[in-house]
Amino acid sequence: MNPYRCVFQMGIEKSLEYRANFFLSLASAVFPIIIQTFLWNYLYGNADAGAVTGYSYQQIIVYTLLASMVSKLVGAGFETQINEDIKLGGLNKYLVKPVGYCRYQFFSFLGEKLPQLAILLLVAAGLVAFSVAFLGLELSAVRILAFLAALVLALVLNFFIFYCVALLSFWLTDVNLMFGTISVVLVVVSGGIFPMDIFGEKLAAFIGLLPFSYTTQFPVNIINGKLSWMQVGSGVLCQVFWIVLFGALGFGMWKKGLKRFAAVGG
Amino acid sequence: MDIITVEHLKKEFEYYRKADGLKGSMKNLFRRETLTKEAVKDISFRVKKGEILALLGPNGAGKTTTLKVLSGILFPTAGRVEIDGFIPWERKNAFKRRFSIVMGQKNQLWWDLPASDSFYLNKCIFDVDDGEYRKTVEELAELLDVKDLMNVQVRRLSLGERMKMEILASLIHRPRILFLDEPTIGLDILSQQKIRDFLRYYNEQTKTTIILTSHYMRDIEELCSRAVIINQGQLVYDGQLADLGHLMGDSKLLTLMGTRNLKKEQLAPYGRVRELAGARAVLEVPRPALKETASAILSTLPVQDFTVTDIPLEESIALMFQKEVTTV
Repeated sequence: MNPYRCVFQMGIEKSLEYRANFFLSLASAVFPIIIQTFLWNYLYGNADAGAVTGYSYQQIIVYTLLASMVSKLVGAGFETQINEDIKLGGLNKYLVKPVGYCRYQFFSFLGEKLPQLAILLLVAAGLVAFSVAFLGLELSAVRILAFLAALVLALVLNFFIFYCVALLSFWLTDVNLMFGTISVVLVVVSGGIFPMDIFGEKLAAFIGLLPFSYTTQFPVNIINGKLSWMQVGSGVLCQVFWIVLFGALGFGMWKKGLKRFAAVGG
Repeated sequence: MDIITVEHLKKEFEYYRKADGLKGSMKNLFRRETLTKEAVKDISFRVKKGEILALLGPNGAGKTTTLKVLSGILFPTAGRVEIDGFIPWERKNAFKRRFSIVMGQKNQLWWDLPASDSFYLNKCIFDVDDGEYRKTVEELAELLDVKDLMNVQVRRLSLGERMKMEILASLIHRPRILFLDEPTIGLDILSQQKIRDFLRYYNEQTKTTIILTSHYMRDIEELCSRAVIINQGQLVYDGQLADLGHLMGDSKLLTLMGTRNLKKEQLAPYGRVRELAGARAVLEVPRPALKETASAILSTLPVQDFTVTDIPLEESIALMFQKEVTTV
């Protein structure tokens, strides 16, 4: 068997080993959703909030329901592991084997995500069905397919973003605390809590130039009908662009970092 | 035939010095003093195919650094290393298939899954044939006595069991060379013995070349015939373990049990008094004079029992290092 397929399968096993942990984290997503739903209900009930935010009531509720799911789904979580590997010398075990570290981590990450993906997609499907039935969301098969494609790309993109962040450990000894801050900031800028473009066009344009919104906001806006097909197409291209860029950055950082690691030791 | 050649190996690390306290930390923010530490200064040795070599030395002597250079994890500052025709730090895949390294304090197995899963992963990584893989695992699991533990998650295993699994995992691809860094550290006596027995048997059967570092002299005395001793990054001894005792002082320890309390003046004429606690005393006696001294003590002093032992090897080595330090 291909070693990376093996790593992938072990990732699935590991994820199943920690299923309770995952369900709890899923349950913890319920409360913010409820709070935000109340908030939006209030805002949209008392003023013409749609004119300000650019989202209809139905779009914003669908967004709230799905964004936390997507955000959980693309979330990394391996950065502490990489940090420990680099700081405490766990990296050694990869260096002495004929495997590529990045590929190894990538397939282990995908493997761990797969069972979560299955469950999250079920929950998301339920939420979408609810939205179609009660909120009047219009949905087409093409939109669902586009959403799934963007979701996969978002997952890959977020992997590479966090991979690069994690590799900072080569130069900074203790970045573990930083990871907490970075992931909170990234969840917000990627639109994991509310869409970032509700603050006006200027900010929306700026956010569009950054890679982060393509991990959460973009796929969610495909399904809630906020984006035209043109925008979907260019968004997918942007995702691919950022994946290539962060992939290359990660590759360079790994090479440089490893040289440093081999010089100073783990 | 030499399978490992190390010539004038040197490894320096850069580090920063920080003065004590907050003031020092603040100062460090602006200007840091870079210091160079020579972990390994100038080490040369050779290892024959099928040999078990002990790499000895006190903490911080450069043992682990040497093993890390030999396995390609670290680049050396200077020197030449050739292992089975390869230069380790080029990290060629063909080289990685030839050796394995086990570090007693590092975990290479997947923590949350049974060890058998990690074995299988190694099989895939090293592209080991199915039949051969099954045979290897079965045979090694039998030898290490871990057959019933194959499907237990690694995190539920005891330290000794985990170490056996680590060793098993490192041998899946049947490496020609095995580096063991403190493989018995923290284990109980029985587990240590089991691992020693296994390594000796495995070496005899497969002629795998082994370099071993350990804190436990028993490991080394039982497994190795030759030792390389390093201290402060320098090679201080390379030769037969058996000759080491002579080199570092030809004395024996005589432990006496008196019928009543012994006095220092009584013992002093027979040799150096190392310990004296009530009726129990330890004397250091030159080997040639052992027989006479023992019979003289038995006939003149109120002694009911005595045992003769060698000076423990670690003590001799420490002694040797002290000499080294004082002459430098």
